[in-house]
Amino acid sequence: MSRDSNYDHHISIFSPQGRLYQMEYAFKAASSASGLTGISLRGKDSCVVVTQKKVPDRLMDPQSVSHIFTITPQIGCLATGMIADCKAQIQRMRYEAADFQFKYGYGIPVHVLAKRIADIAQVNTQSASMRPLATVCMLVGVDDERGPQVFKVDCAGHYLPFFGTASGAKEQEAMNYLEKKVEEMKDYDADQTVRTAIMCLGSVLGSDFRGSEVEVAMVEGKTGRFTVLTEEEIDAHLSFIADSDA
Amino acid sequence: MGDSAYSFSLTTFSRTGKLLQIEYALNAVANGRTSLGICAKDGVVIATDKKLSSTLVDLDQVSKIQKINEGSGFVYSGLGPDYRVLVRKARKSSQSYHLQYREHKPVSQLVKSTASVMQEYTQSGGVRPFGVSLLVAGVDADKSPRLYQVDPSGAYFAWKATAVGKNYINAKNFLEKRYQDDMELEDAIHTALLTLREGFEGEMTKDNIEVGVVSQADGKFRALTPDQIQDYLDETS
Repeated sequence: MSRDSNYDHHISIFSPQGRLYQMEYAFKAASSASGLTGISLRGKDSCVVVTQKKVPDRLMDPQSVSHIFTITPQIGCLATGMIADCKAQIQRMRYEAADFQFKYGYGIPVHVLAKRIADIAQVNTQSASMRPLATVCMLVGVDDERGPQVFKVDCAGHYLPFFGTASGAKEQEAMNYLEKKVEEMKDYDADQTVRTAIMCLGSVLGSDFRGSEVEVAMVEGKTGRFTVLTEEEIDAHLSFIADSDA
Repeated sequence: MGDSAYSFSLTTFSRTGKLLQIEYALNAVANGRTSLGICAKDGVVIATDKKLSSTLVDLDQVSKIQKINEGSGFVYSGLGPDYRVLVRKARKSSQSYHLQYREHKPVSQLVKSTASVMQEYTQSGGVRPFGVSLLVAGVDADKSPRLYQVDPSGAYFAWKATAVGKNYINAKNFLEKRYQDDMELEDAIHTALLTLREGFEGEMTKDNIEVGVVSQADGKFRALTPDQIQDYLDETS
């Protein structure tokens, strides 16, 4: 039955050209499911994640609608894609991080967690029994030895360290914006990092937004904790950006 | 591996007696970035290009060439995530060998066990073959340098020089013309770089290629640093 190669669209087996359709479809689902774009960026000693906040219904509690998650006090994650799959992956990440802390007695480094989750994601692309998860995660943290780190883990199990990256609907436009600034980004302080991430989002969405329409979170410095910015803090950055443009 | 719901093999024979999933896996390999290896009389060199999709990627922290144990290293063409699974299993099997025998697992043994894993995934229930071809470089127990290629089917061959991935046919023709049985490691490294440059899109620099060597003298596999690669690049131009 699998030799019919009609099943290559249904489960994780190779197509005649050597492609994995299920994995490609998972990517499509991850970028277009929520319609959101997420951006992450690292500066000299801090990293930032930014995403849109779209509350689908006015009756919904806005605090329950979020794509930014804390994995450990030092590591945060922006998960774009289908929210249920995102939450499943986040739960697994939290478990892996806690298990590492328990076994080895120190906090899991970002790159170790990224690799672990990527390896787990790879299993779904090779085993027919579970489909790949439609999520692209960006893990951020400040490593003791390596400084600020941004890792993107995708549906296929790829994971790469980035200076700055994006995922979701406007991924390509956002990456183009960041590529132009890649050299200067390496020296940015915390505020510059946040503002560049926000400006990038504004630029690709083509419109301004208020503090309640974006989520921003960051880790600053080696002892920094992953903190989600309050609406007031976001508004302060937005005013600064508006003033410097004007 | 594989759920009980999928306790049947996904790789089955076609009417003409072919295992199509394996052939498709080889197509996935042929779409991957080129890797090559040369076995000299006193060592082995493997090399690959490290070009990635964007300048935003922090290339310093990425490497395709991986040391498996003291005397052996891998490089691949094909699907990166599948490669990581094989690297992990190979490292574990090397450690387990060392635990039992207090000796480093020889490259020929390492290749056999890795190939066996790859074969299992062509026959076990609910899984697909690995979409990678591996090039394995090492110095064997009898101190001879060896280069092996392991394919998705689990078949492995020892080579004097070979290439996998995009453009492998041209690369292999180039290698065939230049290979000599009494080649030394230094010559082999130069030839490897020249071969890589043949099919390279754009300018080849120390930061967008990787080279791994193991010499018969010390039997230790190591990945060259960008500065060491630059020295070789300067010599070849």
